[in-house]
Amino acid sequence: MIELSTTKRVILGNEAIAFGALSAGVSIATGYPGTPSTEIIETLMKYGKIYAEWSTNEKVAFETAYGAAINGAFALTAMKHVGLNVAADPLMSSSYTGVEGALVIVSADDPSMWSSQNEQDNRYYGLHALIPVIEPYDPQSAHDLTVEAFKLSNKVKHPVILRSTTRIGHIRGPVELKPPSKPVLGSLIKNPRRYVLVPENARRNRVEQLKRWEKIEEEVENLNELIDNDSENLIIASGISFGYVIDAIKELEIKTNVLRLSTPVPIPKRLILDAVSNSKRVLIVEEGEPIVEYQVKDLLYDQGVRVELHGKDLVSRVGEMTLDKIYYAFSKFFGLDLVSEYLEIPQDIPPRPPALCPGCPHRNSFIDLKKAITMASFKPNETFISGDIGCYTLGFLPPFDAQDSSTDMGSSIGIANGVYRSTGNIPIAVIGDSTFFHSGISALVNAVYNQTPMLVFVLDNRSTAMTGQQPSPSKEIDIGEVAKGLGVKYVKYVDPFDVNSSIKELSNALKWVKDNKQPAVVIAKRACALLVMDNVEEDNLPKAIVDLEKCTGCSICYDYFTCPAIIPRKDKKAEIDNYTCIGCGACVPVCPFKAISLKGNKPEKWDELWLG
Amino acid sequence: MARVNILIAGVGGQGIITAGKMIAEAGNYSNTKVLIAETHGLAQRGGGVNIHVRIGEVNSPLIPLGKADYLVGLEATEVLRNLNYASRKHTTIIINNYVMRPVLPKVKLLSLQEVLDKLKGCNVHVIDANQIAVKAGNIKAANAAILGFLYSLGAFEGLINEESFIKALKYESNIKAFKIAQAIKINGIDINGI
Repeated sequence: MIELSTTKRVILGNEAIAFGALSAGVSIATGYPGTPSTEIIETLMKYGKIYAEWSTNEKVAFETAYGAAINGAFALTAMKHVGLNVAADPLMSSSYTGVEGALVIVSADDPSMWSSQNEQDNRYYGLHALIPVIEPYDPQSAHDLTVEAFKLSNKVKHPVILRSTTRIGHIRGPVELKPPSKPVLGSLIKNPRRYVLVPENARRNRVEQLKRWEKIEEEVENLNELIDNDSENLIIASGISFGYVIDAIKELEIKTNVLRLSTPVPIPKRLILDAVSNSKRVLIVEEGEPIVEYQVKDLLYDQGVRVELHGKDLVSRVGEMTLDKIYYAFSKFFGLDLVSEYLEIPQDIPPRPPALCPGCPHRNSFIDLKKAITMASFKPNETFISGDIGCYTLGFLPPFDAQDSSTDMGSSIGIANGVYRSTGNIPIAVIGDSTFFHSGISALVNAVYNQTPMLVFVLDNRSTAMTGQQPSPSKEIDIGEVAKGLGVKYVKYVDPFDVNSSIKELSNALKWVKDNKQPAVVIAKRACALLVMDNVEEDNLPKAIVDLEKCTGCSICYDYFTCPAIIPRKDKKAEIDNYTCIGCGACVPVCPFKAISLKGNKPEKWDELWLG
Repeated sequence: MARVNILIAGVGGQGIITAGKMIAEAGNYSNTKVLIAETHGLAQRGGGVNIHVRIGEVNSPLIPLGKADYLVGLEATEVLRNLNYASRKHTTIIINNYVMRPVLPKVKLLSLQEVLDKLKGCNVHVIDANQIAVKAGNIKAANAAILGFLYSLGAFEGLINEESFIKALKYESNIKAFKIAQAIKINGIDINGI
């Protein structure tokens, strides 16, 4: 437990942001879980005596925070970088209206794509929307600059983006915590001339927006710092790059001035112009896109300043910042001979991708689905399975090989619409419960409205499991009833562990889609195994056992079912790792020789926890 | 400048992030700056995971290639996957005597011996951290055993003291595993310099 009264603590960057928000007086916090942003809202829920919610999606999260901020509250909304695309619509307009209290939008970017589909640089949103972007460089600055972000937003009455990255949010380091402040709530402000964006009002807002932008350009000057080492060289280091630059110049004993840039959008023009004017050579070090570089070049051209300037010609545009990238840039910029010696990674190491957990219902769902495809006389290589974002994206891996696409939250149903229109093949959209409510629902509306034949297979494990079992709307709202309400005529439920009946239901649904040329929805209902484990005594679980007399070493359980708890012995027979097995029983019907059984008694409420 | 770089690799679920937390907290008790870069998200579920631990005068989270002072594998094969952080001259490699099968069909595993063969000429220590953890009363304490072993090698000298570790390890089984692993080094049972 982190006591807010004790100051210096080792915490995660995301926790530092959350405590910074509490210190600034945040009263409303919203978000949709997504790595690397999740712990911000989690921390606020755990330690803040404020309103914090998981919203249906990032757009709703944004609008909720914005609704609070236009009534005077201090609000925060947090999402991963791709989440901001979902919220881009209200984001652009929020810059036109401005806010009354404070609105801080945390965008957690993921350079190198540790757990994301792309590495877009969300500082562009700042330029695009005319919203200032504040970028920390370590956990301490993440904390302090969150406070500054609220101050700036409130002072200028404009939203502010706090842009973190994986290596800000997910590094752990010492942070001096500022004490919490009283949460700033709002009181009703009715101002339709400002907040109703009909063209007449929006045109007036556009002019106001640009006035605020001028004020913002003034305000950001003080958030940045020039470290003057009396050198003719200048390095402008944005965000996380600052720490790397400092380490490299200490290590290599290089003499250079360094400008720590915490506001990549807009750049502090006066500070940069002064610093550049006193330099002969300039190197801009920034992760990702040349956003600072473009602005600096623009500024220098306007001011008629000619100087030797380097940026993305020396600093890689691919992946996250590393010291190795800095060493490379420095070797060119300072003319140093920096050869680093390191060992090569051997080529013949078996890959180790993440896997579905022991007891995960999705493993069975994929096995059931693949068998149903064959049973319904669909040809597996002519059946497009459009996937979605969640634990079940792992279904693209062998042995399932059951995802042909997966681009963004809710994309499975949307893409299936297009697959059918272009090919005439009936597609299967696999989607999770949280993703269904996030944005799959509107694509399903489209399928019903346009009568697009597809099987929508909803894997309802009652949670947003991939990010840490956050609750999902499926706990309150029955997906089958929603589908029926939208006009889906064929809706069924299956228990994925009940293999035979699931295969039959799925196969019937596929046949129905083929005959009726309409969408059908089948919902596989079984809880996330980790969620079940949170509610039972771990010492008291049943365990699977293998009857070695019956086991033939056919390898189906470990090569085709691939539960991590089933391990091959030297003689190819199976054995159970008691430490990993949770006694879910999913493997029992999978063995064709009936060699696997369960030993021990079910804990209390076992079935309710899985199926409730 | 005084600093130590430790890269700890293994499989999601082995307590690697917890190991990082324990070092960071121990560092805080000793008033030494520690930065830990963690991998979260999907990688937690049975996939390869690593953490970068940088102790002392550091401002950035990631270890440069070849600059790990210690490369630790809580699972033997994962050492190889992170080998580019090590150099032959400079790096001490510590391997837990444990190979774990990836959850993929028909994978051919590397044996511990095959892993060691690929590390010929490196400074390698092999320890049985899982067994130490079981001896200490909790299989989950394998990460604490590794920390004890690192401590006995002098990895934290002048930066983090034993008392701070004891405080940060919190649980009795962790502390016990930490101490047993230290004793193992003293008795010279580890396989050194293969």
